[in-house]
Amino acid sequence: MAERPEDLNLPNAVITRIIKEALPDGVNVSKEARRAISQAASVFVLYATSCANNFAMKAKRKTLNAGDVLAAMEEMEFERFLEPLKEALEVYKKGQKGKKEVSEQKRKDKEKKNDSENDKSREEEEEEEDRMEEEPEAENEAEEEEVEN
Amino acid sequence: MAATVATPVTPTELDPDRCGSEEESRGAEAEEENTQQQIGPAAAVSHSRLSKLPLARIKALMKTDPDVSLASQESVFIIAKATELFVEMIAKDALVYAQQGKRKTLQRKDLDNAIEAIDEFAFLEGTLD
Repeated sequence: MAERPEDLNLPNAVITRIIKEALPDGVNVSKEARRAISQAASVFVLYATSCANNFAMKAKRKTLNAGDVLAAMEEMEFERFLEPLKEALEVYKKGQKGKKEVSEQKRKDKEKKNDSENDKSREEEEEEEDRMEEEPEAENEAEEEEVEN
Repeated sequence: MAATVATPVTPTELDPDRCGSEEESRGAEAEEENTQQQIGPAAAVSHSRLSKLPLARIKALMKTDPDVSLASQESVFIIAKATELFVEMIAKDALVYAQQGKRKTLQRKDLDNAIEAIDEFAFLEGTLD
């Protein structure tokens, strides 16, 4: 699905909220001014991306990373953004790590749940155990063969 | 110091703004608390709170650049965050011009003035409709 830059605007409600929170109470923003700021924000994304991509290409990387973006900010003379961006990045990274742990934990919980469901029928379990005892040996033999090769 | 809010005197330019901003921040905090309660604990823990702008949309924008192949999640996040800071900055800088014109409404011309006057916004020249 090819998207043209003109089609992709940032959500008006969010832009409006950011503007309102930045300005003192009692200040209004005309519709035209809001639209222009939203457009400017899109241009900013494109310019920052292009700039960051230059750094990535210089380093012969195909993937844009956080460092490239920070370098771009400096290049674009937005050094004032560097500190708050670095701080936000730290919090974000911790959050991502937490998310990974949460999803891993969820997976483990799922496995545990599956095991406990198997407990319901003991006979079946015993049969399974017998079968399972046979299997590992077969697997081991197979593994040994592979190692030798 | 007696409360100045109830005073019938015509408000000066400075005080109401200060009082107003205090009220607004309290109001904003109350709003945030309410939305967190409504959405539930999962969303409160969610780190999408860090970025107000939707990362998917930012990423889609970034990908319109033909030279960009891949972008790490972190890079998308930082660009989103930087864009937020940019919006704050340009709004505040444009406000100066509105205030010079003794207006309380930010208009398109205030933005144009800011873009012309401020070096960091030079890249915007000729890009807005």
